[in-house]
Amino acid sequence: MRYKITFDEAKCVACGACAVACMDQNDIQAEEGQLPLRRTFTKESRLHPEETFGYYSHACEHCDDAPCIPACPSGCLFKDPDTGFTVFDTTNCIGCRSCAFACPHGAPTMGLDGKMLKCDGCSQRVKAGLLPACVAVCPFDALTLEESYNP
Amino acid sequence: MEKTAMIGFGCAGYHALRTMRQQGYQGEIHVYANVSHPPANPMLTTYYVAGRIPYEGMFPFGSLQELASEYQAVLHMDTNVLRVDTASRQVILSDQTAEAYDQILIATGARAVSPALGGGSQNRRFLMRTAQDALQLKKLLDEGNVSSAVVVGASMVGIKVVELLHDRGISVVLTDLAPRMFPLACMEETAQEIRKDLERRGIVTMLGSGVDRTETYEQGIFTYLSDGRVLESDILVLCMGTRANVELVANTQVIDSEPVKVNRGIVVDRRMQTTVPGIYAAGDCCEGLNIQTGETALIGLWANAAEQGRCAGVNMAGGDVLYGGSLPSNITHYFDVDFVGVGDPNIPGHRHIFRRGKETYALTEQDGRISCVNILGNYRNSGMIHQALTKIIAGEDPEFGPDRWGLLEAGGVPEEFLTFMGGLL
Repeated sequence: MRYKITFDEAKCVACGACAVACMDQNDIQAEEGQLPLRRTFTKESRLHPEETFGYYSHACEHCDDAPCIPACPSGCLFKDPDTGFTVFDTTNCIGCRSCAFACPHGAPTMGLDGKMLKCDGCSQRVKAGLLPACVAVCPFDALTLEESYNP
Repeated sequence: MEKTAMIGFGCAGYHALRTMRQQGYQGEIHVYANVSHPPANPMLTTYYVAGRIPYEGMFPFGSLQELASEYQAVLHMDTNVLRVDTASRQVILSDQTAEAYDQILIATGARAVSPALGGGSQNRRFLMRTAQDALQLKKLLDEGNVSSAVVVGASMVGIKVVELLHDRGISVVLTDLAPRMFPLACMEETAQEIRKDLERRGIVTMLGSGVDRTETYEQGIFTYLSDGRVLESDILVLCMGTRANVELVANTQVIDSEPVKVNRGIVVDRRMQTTVPGIYAAGDCCEGLNIQTGETALIGLWANAAEQGRCAGVNMAGGDVLYGGSLPSNITHYFDVDFVGVGDPNIPGHRHIFRRGKETYALTEQDGRISCVNILGNYRNSGMIHQALTKIIAGEDPEFGPDRWGLLEAGGVPEEFLTFMGGLL
């Protein structure tokens, strides 16, 4: 089984509840300057103003062939066999930022301990039959958890 | 049963082995390595010396036993391969025994440049590439008798050695023949900022001056620079880059067929095959496609070695994939500084620099094309810029849409830089 968290821009009202839920779920210390692992922002093209202004909610895309995994020099990142999410064990993380440099989506960040931190899809919640925190709290189903079987 | 040999067991060798099995390869795979430990990451040596990871942390893929079992590999560790007979696809061991294979992967990596710099005992001169190098330096530092050091090489390794020595309270002089920091990644302007920052922290930098020779004595070492200066320190650490290990196939006699082409590294095509069918190469020993020049080049990066190993693995298992190529690109974090370099800083062009607080964003542009980007002080969205620039240089659509734009802005990248870069994308 593998899962994807999908985002429907048309349903987003920019309430920011997903980011707050992410902070709560992952013990993000806002007072220490930490940002949530799911970021919300306005989507606006300065070069092409005719394109529609919109809101966006973004976290790790859990790529099928995630480039952060081979880029990690310490082997901290891997695919969770149960969910397909890109998860991590930062025991040997050296805080080198190679994961961030490899990620085309800007997902990996550094925790207050200097080690990598990123969205893990709330894999433990999903394995327990729950929705990821951001999905569970989204009032208009802009964020959804989709499941499919690996071929 | 089909038989494959892999010579060398580092990042590329590991990924090739893993990929071949994932692809369903059923033949025997024999791995030859002249060390007794599992695949190691040279980048982790400085972190071990700094005490940031345990010894086992230098081996990110697990133990030899685990790897042999999981990937059904026959491991010939502590085994010296004398050469590869490319015509007959034989691996010749140092005891002259020979074993024939259907295909061979050469993944022998690279070694630290270690020039002959003069006599005296070697226990004051250190390299920083192998697990053994790290053990030796850590042992001496842990004894607590080192108070001064000279580091040769203003490189990504050199800066980490400087950092770990400085953190131990050791006074450090950093030297390099190159006139600026990170000469293969850093523009002049950002290099100056990095150098000033190091000097502010109390690290002495002597750039633009090579090392002529060294002279050790019982308690220390003299380093003679090419500009006439003489440095005295407790230890000297050489971080002068690497040299590809190509000797197994270089200058080998080949009858009735083409030899393996070797430049600075073993030349491979985009399937990671050398000029001899059935002989592949991957990782730091080989020259892969540099998408910025369109030619093959040594680009010794961990992620490149992984990708090349995976590509070789697919093709050696009977598949058909092409290595996408890469360009010089680095990220390093030292002290509290993040430096990002994408592209060749030595390609001429107009320099555009944008500053925001302590962050610097610089790019080189010529005729509307970006050839290099440097970022100082912000790693968070470096991957998006890395990927966009890589795609542009490769002639592909950078897919730099409004969502990317918003994400970069949300990540603190200055709008002026984005506007300028975006206009060129």
